[in-house]
Amino acid sequence: MSIAQALGLRPRARPAEEPRRALLDSHQIGWLGALLLAAQLPQAPHLPIWIAAMGILLVVVRLVVLRQDRQRPHAPPPRIPSWTLVLFAVAAAFAVRASYGYLSGRDPSVAFLYILVAIKFLETRTRRDGTFLVCLSCFLLITPFFYGQSPLAALAALPAVALVGATLDALTRNPGAGASTGRGPALRRSIVMIMQGIPVAILLFVLFPRLAGPLWGLPSDHSAQTGLSETMEPGQISELSLSDAVAFRVDFDGPVPAPRERYWRGPVLSRFDGRTWTAGSPQFGRVPVSEGGSVVTYTVNLEPSNRMWLFALDLPSSLPRAESEGNATPSTSTSTLAFISRDQQLLARSPVTQSIRYVQQSVLRSSFPGNPQFETSANLYLPANNPRTRAFARELRESHPDDRALIAAVLQWFNQEDFVYTMSPPALNEDTADEFLFDTRRGFCEHYASAFVVLLRAAGIPARVVTGYQGGAMNPRGNYMIVRQSDAHAWAEALIDGRWQRFDPTAAVSPSRIEIGLGGALPVSESVPFLARLDTSWLKTVQLTWDAINHDWRRNIVGYNYARQRSLWREWRLDGLLPWEVVALGAAALFAWAGLLAAWLLFRRRRQERALVLWDDLCRRLARAGLPRQSHEGPMAFAQRAALRWPQFAIAFAAIGQSFATLRYGETATSRQRDALVATLQRAIEVLPAPAALRQSS
Amino acid sequence: MVAVPTDATVSGWVARIRQRAFRIAPADRDPVVLRHSRIYILPTRPGWAMIATVATMLVASLNYALSLGVGVAFLLSGLLAASLLHTFRNLAGIEVTPLSAGEAFAGGHMAFTLSLHGGALARSAVTLAASGANAYGEVPAGAALTVTLDVPAPARGRKSLGRVTLSSDYPMGLWRGWAYVHFPLAGIVYPEVEIGAPPLPQGAMGADALSTGRSDDADLAGLREFQRGDSPQRVAWKAVARGAGWYTKEFDGVGGGGPVALAWAALPAALDREARLSRLTAWVLAAERAARPFGLAIPGTSLPGGQGRPHRRNALAALAEFPRATEV
Repeated sequence: MSIAQALGLRPRARPAEEPRRALLDSHQIGWLGALLLAAQLPQAPHLPIWIAAMGILLVVVRLVVLRQDRQRPHAPPPRIPSWTLVLFAVAAAFAVRASYGYLSGRDPSVAFLYILVAIKFLETRTRRDGTFLVCLSCFLLITPFFYGQSPLAALAALPAVALVGATLDALTRNPGAGASTGRGPALRRSIVMIMQGIPVAILLFVLFPRLAGPLWGLPSDHSAQTGLSETMEPGQISELSLSDAVAFRVDFDGPVPAPRERYWRGPVLSRFDGRTWTAGSPQFGRVPVSEGGSVVTYTVNLEPSNRMWLFALDLPSSLPRAESEGNATPSTSTSTLAFISRDQQLLARSPVTQSIRYVQQSVLRSSFPGNPQFETSANLYLPANNPRTRAFARELRESHPDDRALIAAVLQWFNQEDFVYTMSPPALNEDTADEFLFDTRRGFCEHYASAFVVLLRAAGIPARVVTGYQGGAMNPRGNYMIVRQSDAHAWAEALIDGRWQRFDPTAAVSPSRIEIGLGGALPVSESVPFLARLDTSWLKTVQLTWDAINHDWRRNIVGYNYARQRSLWREWRLDGLLPWEVVALGAAALFAWAGLLAAWLLFRRRRQERALVLWDDLCRRLARAGLPRQSHEGPMAFAQRAALRWPQFAIAFAAIGQSFATLRYGETATSRQRDALVATLQRAIEVLPAPAALRQSS
Repeated sequence: MVAVPTDATVSGWVARIRQRAFRIAPADRDPVVLRHSRIYILPTRPGWAMIATVATMLVASLNYALSLGVGVAFLLSGLLAASLLHTFRNLAGIEVTPLSAGEAFAGGHMAFTLSLHGGALARSAVTLAASGANAYGEVPAGAALTVTLDVPAPARGRKSLGRVTLSSDYPMGLWRGWAYVHFPLAGIVYPEVEIGAPPLPQGAMGADALSTGRSDDADLAGLREFQRGDSPQRVAWKAVARGAGWYTKEFDGVGGGGPVALAWAALPAALDREARLSRLTAWVLAAERAARPFGLAIPGTSLPGGQGRPHRRNALAALAEFPRATEV
């Protein structure tokens, strides 16, 4: 294929008997239907039930109700008036609009495409319609990935990819052309060709430049995700703790911190209205100057949360950065993903709508310098309720003038009184702190943190609630840490001597929550989420293995973005290459693939045509010995002529002619008979000497 | 015949490239094996549609950072690339041999036969097109396929097959591969046979009285192998029915009516050139059918009385190549 020459040329119009308007036969309609169903099924679970059912129903209607006459497979497909279809499409648009409340977003567009493809199928009659439908269903192949890119989602797309090839294959067959149109060959051919194309797919996947940012606006996602929120009120975190969903996964460079040091800092809540804690408006801050302590470097793989915040071990000592930037000084890097607020909280530049990976450093410290001038008054404010707590705080203040001594007394009091750590605490009414501290005394971490901060503020110590995650379990199958929603936690910080100091009242009540986790801190009777329990069942092992596969998948396939591509190129020492050099490299690899595949396609010898290979070989040898086969000569005639030329091998030639003719043109009942004939042929050919010797002996 | 200049001028160089790319002159020597230098491949309409679809999928997936969407788009790209090679493989190595040009009368079709041999590989859905004729075939592995192209032959004279385009969009219709072969294969289109021509002139060559009484049938001289273009009346159908093969009866001797002279000059003056040729052609066929020896005398050519297949062919060829009105 001399492409340079070909560039100036156009293929001639197709011969007149193969018009694009050729009508499809029932077989081709069947292929199209199978492709549509395979493309629709992975998308269906993400759609409202009636849309999902209607799309599939339309395809089934076309396949079953409007079926062509089976007795006359080449009869033209039934015609449906096109105005009914336009009407149908408009009705579908209105229905989608009614279902979603809007039409321009991503989800309704996907739903509309889903329905539209099925409607188009109803009126598909010609080959051109068929090709158009195949292209439409290709778009339907990628829409499920908006809703999840798990290994299962990838697997679910594969049947449809194979059917794209098989359907195109079936569409090109002329109904009367006599080509084999069995279902098996077309599908097998398609799968074989997809597999032959996999090297190209991998090459392109690795080398094709990824975008550093989107070209046009990303659709806003309307769905809510489980996770921490900007507010905290009694009962909220315990509800979250019922979820086994993964919040994020962490790969550590170096040793993993001890469980009691795994405080993943999240939203800092300093405003209190008497019941609900909310975050103050974020102020820009700086990463505190390192004061020593062991630095931990790790990579967080955060699940989409639709929130701004990123998580880091208490206390972050760097800004998060994308993986690719190597060892650039984190704080000076321009492409940081987030900034840090004055209360040492990491805030992304936009809500986290897809899973992201970032490298983070932390120093395992429980205190950092505050700014008493600006932070004291805001963190002392209390609404005028909880009178009993206020009175108790005054009492404590009188006996403990020192802040630290007072806090130690409170924690001791929590520890010694009959406080219970439970996921199902009784409901609290108006004065939440009063009711909890003096009446119910049963609560989850948010109850303790909230009441503790109220107590401290009443005693005149600036304090606030910090939410986040505490703990996380290493996955033994993948050597990374999984932090789940069930690890959600709330603790407190108090401003003492100009430094914010972390206190965890939950630890005073239930030290095992911090040391072991939720499963170790709660009695068996409580409904601890399955994966937070301590016992190891095989089901949990399976789940962890699956999670490890998922983690690798996310890291290497789904997470293969601009940053990962850059770092991979650096690893392969490709980053020094100029763009055109990379293109040349890719092109060279493509040509190598094409050459290898073409050579294999053309020159591999097929097993099932062994007899033919032997015969061709023989003809070549005899031609070299001076007796080329005439094109009109059959095997018997040629063998006879050869026997006349070399009478000493007459028996061998007779056997060759007879066995090859029977193999090619005769009827052989069993494969054993064929094998025997092939063996005869081969033995007879082996009797003959080399061409040079034959030439001499004639 | 070969219009490729051999001098090293620029125009000669351009002509060589044009010949190499488009095979304008019938310069191919048989058999031709299709190699990569002859095979062109471009996307078909569905191919362009798929390329555009994959490109759109790719841009959308990149924009929304859907790695799996990118993966699916590249998987389909791999399929496109692999199907290109399969299209190439379907054509590469086909051996094309020109077999024969048939016999035709003006207004009919001339059958050109070519043989395709695919070697050890089967070749699917190969279309041949030349001079307004199409043929379609599947070449089985290890066997030859004989393809007949029925080229319209509107006017008498030499008719060459012209450039043959072999093409195939196997396996998925995404790519069309094609190759040109141009053999110097030509046949002669005889003049149109006049319908309702008057009967043969009687005994113009001096028929003797004795011969008029004999039957119309001449003596059967023997059988020879059937050749394409032989008159169906002459086929030995009994032999065909027995399964003994195809033979044509050959006759000897003088048929009823005796020898006949077919002369241009003897025709009515009202007939124009082509009408005369048509009538003479009809008479040649009639004489042949009646197994009467005939002689032909037209301006520039004169055939003595004779009979049999070569004689008939010479007579018809002389009529076919009679100069046209504009050529005189």
